[in-house]
Amino acid sequence: MKYSKALLSAAAVGGMLAAVAACSSGSTGSSAAKVSKAPLTLMFGSSGPAETKAVDAAASAFTKQSGIKVKVIAASNLTQQLAQGFAAGHPPDVFYLDPGSFQNYAKDNALYPYAQTLPNAGDFYPALRAAFTYKGTFICDPKDASTLALYINTTDWRQAGLTSADIPKNWSQLAAVSKKLTTHGRVGLVLDQSHSELDEFLYQNGGTVVGSNGKVDLDSSQNVTALAFLKKMLDENILKFPPALSSGWSGQAFGENKAAMDIVGNWMVGAMQADYPKVHYQVATIPSGPTGKTATLSFTNCWGIPRSSANLGGAVKFVKFLTTPQQQMAFSKAFGVIPSLATLQGTWQSTFPNLAVHTKELTYAHPDIALPNDAQALAAFDGSLAQLATSNPATILAKAQDNLAPLASQAR
Amino acid sequence: MATRQLAPPERRAPGTQGVRRRHRARRREAAAGWLFTAPAIVALVVFLVVPIVMAAWVSVSDWSGIGSPISGGVRTVGMANYEALLTQSGLAQQDLGLSIRDNLYYVLFVVPLQTALALALAIVVSRKALRGRGFFRTAFYFPSVTSSVAVSMIFLFLFADTGVINGALGYLGVHGPSWFSDPNGLVHMIASDAGITPPSALTSHGLLGVSWWDWLAGPSVAMVTLIVLAIWTTSGTFMLLFLPALYSISEQVEEAAIVDGAGAWTRFRRITLPLIRPALFLVLTLGLIGTWQVFDQVFLITQGNPAGTTLTPAYLAYQVSFGDQQWGQGAAIAFILFAIIVIFTVLQRLVLREHDSPTQARGRRPWSGG
Amino acid sequence: MAGRRKQPWLRAGLYLTLLIFAFLYIYPFLLELGTSFKSETDSVNNPVNPIPRNWVVSAFTTLGQQDFPRWFMNSVVVAVFVTAGRILFDSMAGYALARLRFRGRSAVFAAIIAVMAVPGVVLLIPKFLVIRTLGIYDTYPGLIIPLLADATGVFIMKQFFESIPASIEEAAKIDGAGMFRVFWSVVLPMARPALMALTILSFQGSWNDFSDILIAHENPALDTLTTGVGRLVSGQLGAATQYPLKLAAAVAMTIPVAIVFFVFQKYILRTGQGALKE
Repeated sequence: MKYSKALLSAAAVGGMLAAVAACSSGSTGSSAAKVSKAPLTLMFGSSGPAETKAVDAAASAFTKQSGIKVKVIAASNLTQQLAQGFAAGHPPDVFYLDPGSFQNYAKDNALYPYAQTLPNAGDFYPALRAAFTYKGTFICDPKDASTLALYINTTDWRQAGLTSADIPKNWSQLAAVSKKLTTHGRVGLVLDQSHSELDEFLYQNGGTVVGSNGKVDLDSSQNVTALAFLKKMLDENILKFPPALSSGWSGQAFGENKAAMDIVGNWMVGAMQADYPKVHYQVATIPSGPTGKTATLSFTNCWGIPRSSANLGGAVKFVKFLTTPQQQMAFSKAFGVIPSLATLQGTWQSTFPNLAVHTKELTYAHPDIALPNDAQALAAFDGSLAQLATSNPATILAKAQDNLAPLASQAR
Repeated sequence: MATRQLAPPERRAPGTQGVRRRHRARRREAAAGWLFTAPAIVALVVFLVVPIVMAAWVSVSDWSGIGSPISGGVRTVGMANYEALLTQSGLAQQDLGLSIRDNLYYVLFVVPLQTALALALAIVVSRKALRGRGFFRTAFYFPSVTSSVAVSMIFLFLFADTGVINGALGYLGVHGPSWFSDPNGLVHMIASDAGITPPSALTSHGLLGVSWWDWLAGPSVAMVTLIVLAIWTTSGTFMLLFLPALYSISEQVEEAAIVDGAGAWTRFRRITLPLIRPALFLVLTLGLIGTWQVFDQVFLITQGNPAGTTLTPAYLAYQVSFGDQQWGQGAAIAFILFAIIVIFTVLQRLVLREHDSPTQARGRRPWSGG
Repeated sequence: MAGRRKQPWLRAGLYLTLLIFAFLYIYPFLLELGTSFKSETDSVNNPVNPIPRNWVVSAFTTLGQQDFPRWFMNSVVVAVFVTAGRILFDSMAGYALARLRFRGRSAVFAAIIAVMAVPGVVLLIPKFLVIRTLGIYDTYPGLIIPLLADATGVFIMKQFFESIPASIEEAAKIDGAGMFRVFWSVVLPMARPALMALTILSFQGSWNDFSDILIAHENPALDTLTTGVGRLVSGQLGAATQYPLKLAAAVAMTIPVAIVFFVFQKYILRTGQGALKE
């Protein structure tokens, strides 16, 4: 779940928002490492032909500009192929890296910490930078960003007699409209049964998952209340998880109109475009908690560069090219991701006004959990969250706390 | 083990030949033995034994996946990885406990059922009198040639909430479960239907971080789908392995038995079963080893969910190694699994051997006759 | 054989049972095939009926945009070489372990069983390191040679040789024929049924292998059907159910191996009937 999620957030499911824009050349800056003409390898996990094409185009544009050849590898299984590269001492020179794996590789000192030294280090959204900061060092450039927002099926909305004034601002309103939208064969709200789609409720209730001090604080009373709220909605059948709707993920339930609302990331846009183009929907800011606290989660990937790269300078130069405003907008247009540069917020919002919510939320978003060696603990957490309807929220959180807390002590 | 069925060559060699000559023949045979096995042994050593030795080293090391595990920077951590799994309570231990429980139920259901089904199918389709046996053989074998990826996709479709199985059950007026998201164990479900509440003696104690009550849960509803999948796909393979043995039972033997007036069941017990014993041993061994290593379906269909009821050691080892980069612990899980498989295989041999002795004499007769 | 003497109704019952079983084994494939031509909504709304309301080929056009012919050829190359190699090596080793007497024979056999018992998934990285060290990474030999290591096949052949009488080859041996000649011209022909089983198992095993192929190459030109489709699956097929597309991919992977299987099926049939007549 976790890795596919990372992949999704990285790439947004392969809908084509627009034709691949022509890539303009980026600025060339100086870097500590020497640039040689040795060819580079770029490995990425593709969400589909649109992304593959866009990355290929970016690589050949870079080659044209710099004279450095780039071999682009779309991985069949990115996690496994990356692990092989590192084990052999020949990892790809540039690769997609999710925050969880980032923690592992950073801990082992396998990543080249280039991001700190680049002039644009301050231009990225703080939440994204935080996701790729290890022990105080900003290590790799965030590739793009996603946040969770509330997706509303506008047809269902009108049919239920709701207006734009009814868009839920807080939990009680969310429960109320969800009830109104629930009909036979359709549920008001669908959420993926994973910490990556549910943790925002904990933050909204004043709780934390991983605090700013790096400590895990999952079993607080605020968090228990937040899960209890979701459990109540499940009990009342106004909230369902995708399996109960025969769906692989929440976006599918939403697209097939088995659910009228979905709190989900902007990877949803590509999926809607590609698979459910006829569904009319609107993206709203995520509702706030009972005390008025607004919170959401952010997801990202970075451009990893291994220390052992034979052409560190060239790799950094390539990443600089990939993170230029022009190139980021080209990726956005090709497969619908939010640029990771805060400086691009205005441009992006004017290009995709209906998705402005997602970038606005980035200012207060919390990064999704990422701790070293957390895959097992998170899988267990997700497993128990999936059983929320029939289990005790306090028990779920206490268990997750026990599993995750020891991991946090070795991080940061 | 089954070599005992064959008469040793010496006994057949005419007694007039000299000792020296026999000696030379023996030496030539030994050389040929090694020569014949050499290509297979070389391939096995290079691509399996060497990697196994490396994995064994990794399981007692702190290798982090960066650079070769036999490079200078990697240090030994003694048995720490095994201790984390076997003696220290925590997530690692609990996951291992769950995976062993889940896989145990998988083995207990799949191995007997697939073997029995495979043998039954093989006996039926090996009959010459069966009309359309080519068709039946094809039908039964076909799932086996299909890749696990394709089969997994088919099963995801079959057992989806609004999928084929639940659709068919709907025609019968039965509301089917959410197959892939129901973590309830079959034994627990029966117990709660019978009004049994979990006794505290069983819930408060346990093994490997899993309470005794949870050890007794039985396969979960989700695991049942994987069990069905396994039986459906592998019974054809094993049918194929029974067929050569069944063909090799010469018709004269069978006919002689029929003339003797032996019934179908007696013929099966007295003639078929002893003669296919090597094949049965093969099928059971392959079945045990294969079911304890189930990986693809878990990886593709359930990822250990719901609530860790379809976790298996092989999948856990992969997840811990590749997902968590805890290579030492992942390799340690693999060797714990290895130990489990060895224990089961030895047990199976002992059980089969005990069974063996009374029937063996009868089994030999057809061949010693000529 | 017993059919002639049995009651007709018993026979009818037997055939009916067999037909029901055959249906259970075949129907999922009809569903697979039919659903791959369905639209997404049709596949969800009418799962039980394999016949599409409207025939749609969009799933196949999506697949068609990939480099299918190349993947297919690579799969063929790998499967053919692996199968041929395994047949030779496994039957030689299986024969030696079953029939020839030499010191260390039982140790070798025990080692083979032990090797089978080690779960393959953790050997992926070490195996990959061996392949690199040998300098065959990212080459066809790198895809093929590691798959020749096949303890299961040796085990299968050994068990088979133990179940057939040794008398014929003993006679040949006494005639003074060389060890390899006895094996080649006397033993192998007798082993036809088991060799057919091994052929099919090897072909299907190497055709469907994913992980071992993945660790042996990174050049997309060496992708086989499994790794090629695997890339497709890990991307756009990952999250949504998208049954038609997934099942179309399944169909595309299954058809070639099905063809091979049907060709050989006739073989087994013939061999089966004439099994011990040679």
